[in-house]
Amino acid sequence: MTRRFLTAEDVRRLIQGGGGGELVVDAETVVTPQALEVANAAGVKINSGAGGAWQVPQPDRGPDAARAMKTLSRLPEPEAGAGDGTGVILTVIGKNRLGVLAEITAFLAKSGCNIHKVSQEIVEGYFHLILTVELDGTTSFESLKSGIECLGGEDDFVARVMHERVFRFMHRV
Amino acid sequence: MAPYTDREILELVRMVDLETLDVRTTTLGINLLDCADPDLESTCEKIYAKVVHHASKLIETANSVAADYGVPIVNKRIAVTPISLVAAACGADNLVPIARAMDAAAKEVGVDFIAGFTAYVHKGFTRADEALFNSIPEALDVTDHVCSSVSLASTKAGINMDATRRFAQIVLETAHRTADRGGLGACKLVCFSNVVEDNPFVAGAHMGIGEAETVLSVGVSGPGVVRAALARLSPDDDLTAVAETIKRTSFKITRIGELIGRETARRLNTIFGIVDVSLAPTPAPGDSVADILELIGVDVTGAPGTTAALALLTDAVKKGGLMASSSVGGLSGAFIPVSEDQGMIEAVRKGALSLAKLEAMTTVCSVGLDMVAVPGDIPEDILMGIIADEMAVGMVNSKTTACRIIPVPGLGPGDTVEWGGLLGTGIVQDPGRFGCANLLRRGGRIPAPMQGFRN
Repeated sequence: MTRRFLTAEDVRRLIQGGGGGELVVDAETVVTPQALEVANAAGVKINSGAGGAWQVPQPDRGPDAARAMKTLSRLPEPEAGAGDGTGVILTVIGKNRLGVLAEITAFLAKSGCNIHKVSQEIVEGYFHLILTVELDGTTSFESLKSGIECLGGEDDFVARVMHERVFRFMHRV
Repeated sequence: MAPYTDREILELVRMVDLETLDVRTTTLGINLLDCADPDLESTCEKIYAKVVHHASKLIETANSVAADYGVPIVNKRIAVTPISLVAAACGADNLVPIARAMDAAAKEVGVDFIAGFTAYVHKGFTRADEALFNSIPEALDVTDHVCSSVSLASTKAGINMDATRRFAQIVLETAHRTADRGGLGACKLVCFSNVVEDNPFVAGAHMGIGEAETVLSVGVSGPGVVRAALARLSPDDDLTAVAETIKRTSFKITRIGELIGRETARRLNTIFGIVDVSLAPTPAPGDSVADILELIGVDVTGAPGTTAALALLTDAVKKGGLMASSSVGGLSGAFIPVSEDQGMIEAVRKGALSLAKLEAMTTVCSVGLDMVAVPGDIPEDILMGIIADEMAVGMVNSKTTACRIIPVPGLGPGDTVEWGGLLGTGIVQDPGRFGCANLLRRGGRIPAPMQGFRN
């Protein structure tokens, strides 16, 4: 096991013991902010055993974490279908007006989305639109989501973009 | 890509938009055993450094998962190893500096709460446990985000009545130290029988000693969703239909927790611990367990029939959850935090929900007496008696029970206190005039019951 921490007290002790201008710790060691302060004040450099100055390491999540990363992705997903991970469900509610569906679908086409299913209803002047679309791989989910949610507005329509996976988890076994 | 019907799609949208479906908490458990140090100051330094090091991406990650999947994650929290174990090596009598270090780390990473200012004393005290107990009132007074819990009893160990008495004193002292805030300190303090070591919900969250280095657990809630599903039933549907409806709804809620848990753990590069599927009410309208009990069929929560209805509810929630995820754990069931549930507040106001009835309900709910206000001048023996009774319920029934009682300084039965936010409104309950002074004086331990000997 590597050294877990370097504290201010550790640094002081090493300086008092004539540790000189350099302190070497393991690359995974967590150096506390106070230890860094004391070392800086005393002009002591903290170096990593791996070579070079010590840098904040990635958190060490313990021996189980690596195994978990392998097994987590292999856990069975509910009823996996084709195109998993690329499906997006779009729900839009708003006041009905001319061209609203065209506006949304034009944006989707521009974003490289393939529309699989369209369902629209108009109830008392309001439209409810549900679109099942697939990303073509050139657009990320995040950019589609932020783009769609910028369309419309409070007085016009509100769009919600959700990952297909949420529906799969909830409605499929 | 699997096609979904409009009905399926709108069901989820409705749950999120109208029925307050959410992931109540993502809690990162961090093992602090390696922070033990002979020097108190270094212990604090290590605790701060380790918590910040491991949790610095928690908020960002949880927010990104919530945005991607469109399900709100309301709270982000941290649970740590019981501090009495971490602090044992430093031999300090006052552990408030550790609470301050935890508080500072919580502020640095931006979480709502950090829980684990904890001691296990169901069989006895170490010097460190004693130091932790003595430090609780000040620790909860001077920090904003730290929560504390203690284990007083278990089915295997019996009840440590000396610890129960000391805990009652600590509750009173904590409440009085925070008298200017309605005894708020005691809202962050809880005791357990059969403590759960992977509970992601505060105030009792902490990271048991059998846990790994870091573990991500989620708590899913959704009383609003269950309530709405029951409201769609006809009053003529029988109780099997009620149980089935709750079970199906719980299944769906838990699946969301499973998804969010897997994904958050993956992005944090850590282990996915458990999904705690607990109907945890909030003061928001409709987000109420009392409303569910009333939909099942009692006139007002607290009326005869309430315990039976709650038994059905807790069981159906667990069954739906267990089918939905292999990682169901924690407390899982139905919470009855009185001040946090609009329907229960109303029931207390009407005089329908007494302390005695609440105790009966805790035999079948998933936790215990939770967020119950009592007069600030409650005698120590009465408070201890209430806590001991609750511990006995857990011990004999091999279930987790907890006690979060808040003596509100300056207030008497029927008075109202506003704690604000999620903690809600407390109406002070009448604990009665009769106590158990001799039981308190005797002290000692109530031996483990027969149920504890299943080896």
